[in-house]
Amino acid sequence: MLNEILSSARTAWEGLQERLFFLPPFPDELDSLALFSMLLVVGLLVGEWLRAKLGWPKVIGYVLAGTLFGPSLLGWISIEALAQIRPMADAALGLLMLEIGRRLDLRWLGENRDLLRATLGEITLSFTAIFLFAWGVVGLMAAWAAAAAAVTMASAPAVVLLTVEESNAQGQVSERIILHTALSAAASFVVFAVVVGVVHAQYSDDWLNAVAHPLWVVVGSVMIAWLMALLARLVAALLPKRSLAQVFILVATALLAVGTARMLAVPVFLTLFLMGVILSFSDQERTLSYTNLPEGHWLLAIILFVVVGASLPWQDFTWLIGLQAIGLLIVRAVAKVAALAWAGGDLGVARRVLVGIGIQPLSATAVFMAYEIAGLYPEIGRSSLSLPLFAAAIMELAGPALCRFAVVRAGETAATDNSKEGVA
Amino acid sequence: MSQPIAEFKQSQPLTLGVELELQLVSVRDFDLTRGATDLLGSMDYDGRFGEIKLEITESMIEVSTLPRTFVDGIAADLVGLRQALVSQCARNHIAVCGGGTHPFHRWAERRICPGDRFDEIYHRYGYLAKQFTVFGQHIHVGCTSGDEAIWMTQALGPYVPIFIALSASSPFVDGEDTLFQSARLNAVSAFPLSGQCPALRDWAEFIEHFSFLQACGIARSIKDLYWDIRPKPEFGTVEIRVCDTPLTVERAAALAALAQSLVRHLLRTRPALDTQRHLYVARYNKFQACRYGFDGQISDPIGLRQVPLRQIARELLAVLIEDAHELGCSAWLQLLDASLAGEISDASWLRGRQAIHRNLNDVVREATMRFRNKRSMHLAEGPR
Repeated sequence: MLNEILSSARTAWEGLQERLFFLPPFPDELDSLALFSMLLVVGLLVGEWLRAKLGWPKVIGYVLAGTLFGPSLLGWISIEALAQIRPMADAALGLLMLEIGRRLDLRWLGENRDLLRATLGEITLSFTAIFLFAWGVVGLMAAWAAAAAAVTMASAPAVVLLTVEESNAQGQVSERIILHTALSAAASFVVFAVVVGVVHAQYSDDWLNAVAHPLWVVVGSVMIAWLMALLARLVAALLPKRSLAQVFILVATALLAVGTARMLAVPVFLTLFLMGVILSFSDQERTLSYTNLPEGHWLLAIILFVVVGASLPWQDFTWLIGLQAIGLLIVRAVAKVAALAWAGGDLGVARRVLVGIGIQPLSATAVFMAYEIAGLYPEIGRSSLSLPLFAAAIMELAGPALCRFAVVRAGETAATDNSKEGVA
Repeated sequence: MSQPIAEFKQSQPLTLGVELELQLVSVRDFDLTRGATDLLGSMDYDGRFGEIKLEITESMIEVSTLPRTFVDGIAADLVGLRQALVSQCARNHIAVCGGGTHPFHRWAERRICPGDRFDEIYHRYGYLAKQFTVFGQHIHVGCTSGDEAIWMTQALGPYVPIFIALSASSPFVDGEDTLFQSARLNAVSAFPLSGQCPALRDWAEFIEHFSFLQACGIARSIKDLYWDIRPKPEFGTVEIRVCDTPLTVERAAALAALAQSLVRHLLRTRPALDTQRHLYVARYNKFQACRYGFDGQISDPIGLRQVPLRQIARELLAVLIEDAHELGCSAWLQLLDASLAGEISDASWLRGRQAIHRNLNDVVREATMRFRNKRSMHLAEGPR
């Protein structure tokens, strides 16, 4: 039907071209800016509709829009178009990772050792449980089981941050959800770097790459993050705190970090997360501490989650892998909730369990990490990592709802919920 | 449902108690944060220095000392309560500070604490309850009878501007310099039963007046009376309620010393009262103290003239020397005298930090350090 319409439009256009010399060739593909705008509008509408009608987090709507219009289902967003939009998605993820990194205050762990115990328990138990499930139950090879565990052990910083912001949540449960999310993301990145080396060692005898690649990832990310954080602080120190100019500097240096990381094939999410952590830890003068990201980062988040939704490989779905993914998620959920309930510090058990539920999301970073590792050995990696990808796909929808449930149940959302007043 | 007034509980004369309402702020941006319920819920504290309890919104916490005979006991309780609170806040990644208002919080974001009483206040007063996220110091002084408490309520009335000026620590509201030294009391003034106790002569007249208010449906319990000074029959005290929470517990103890010395002086000299005349000028004088602090001009309804607040405050401190000496709290009054002489108030300190930082986040950050007794600039050490 669509093809017929396009075909007749093309014929008419080409007919006109013979007489109107200024007409360009018939546009076979949507201009990327036009596509960007359409994604923004469609994602926004679906997100707002779900929020208004069902009370679901908007992120779910964005992912659904991406899934529906992506290559797996309707195919309105082609793989090429996805590649075109990817820099924007990287920028969005980068800004959100920067923000979660800035919120990670390691001094809190020094003041409250219970939290350190809880986070070590949560990280260790999650990785071990997922690895054992992927290796022992699903039957993946040890290296890919470790890769699956590295990718899925952490919560989703972007989802958690957006859900907490959207719910205007504030309190100990929300703070601890953010803290554990940031820490588990940090741990996941370290394991990810190691796994990259392990995968190289497993599939090629090239030991130089097995050692050099993880080092490139880690050292490259740290160097870029450190340089950009330094640059941001130096320039921002010349400007009034919380000024619009400082916001601009923060965003500009973050985008510079995104671009540099992309140029050097270093993971964007890791670089920006580290930049945030370094900013948080080194900013003794509080030069940039009070400067928030512009409200517009919500618009970028729409692009991010539409892209993530469109990237999910639903065309490869089988019931077996679906069941395996659900199994992985159950094991992961039990590990996280049990670790928090057992060692979650001085909050009551019920609230510790809510923290465990709040850190369930699994999303953009996991998907991007999975593709990063799978990209190393496409013929093996894609099939071996379909397990974590489908787990991420399921949690794209369930994760935001679980996080929202936790903060609402904890009674930490504001009475004046402004989330119904629009995206910004 | 209306509650009858409790029988006035007889107290040891001049015993003291202090309540401080404190701010809970995020250590990330130093805005107010919600966290009082979890903070108390996870707190391991045996009550040895007094109580720590919830206030109307989740961003507030109240500490109250045990009843003490001497100001030094009050100061020791306040230091103990501060220590307990500061370490518990650190475990929860929040900070605590004094000050009568938070300089830049948005009242609409405040959340009412769980509890029937708070719920009832919110439903009765609407947004005023959230705007009531202001922070005061209440000083209780023990009285031997209800009659004495009513007399003392009237006798202390003319001194309200001095307490306001010496405690003023709320120059900023909604991110703006209000030009007031104490803007907190403007939030209290919105409540229908705020202001001054009428010209009542004794406990019987007070009971009669309160029964009248109950019969008219205006007040249900004595807690509805947001008077500047009011009797507190359950504690057997008269309660001074006009002070902003100072930035340090040391200044809070010094204000308690002023209250105790003044009450002793009044009981000793028993001056003749002309309450009705003082009521005519009470609101004006209160405004002068809130707006101008030490520079206010206080109307004297007996002498029919205006007197600088600084002058009457210094004269009062001079008059109280003997009483303070007898009560063992002279050193605390000297702290107030020094601040008057140096024209240093908490409000001026806050303005000074804002002039340096040009950023209220940093002002609150320094206020939290000052409350913790880190890098305090004055009145931090207490008397030696």
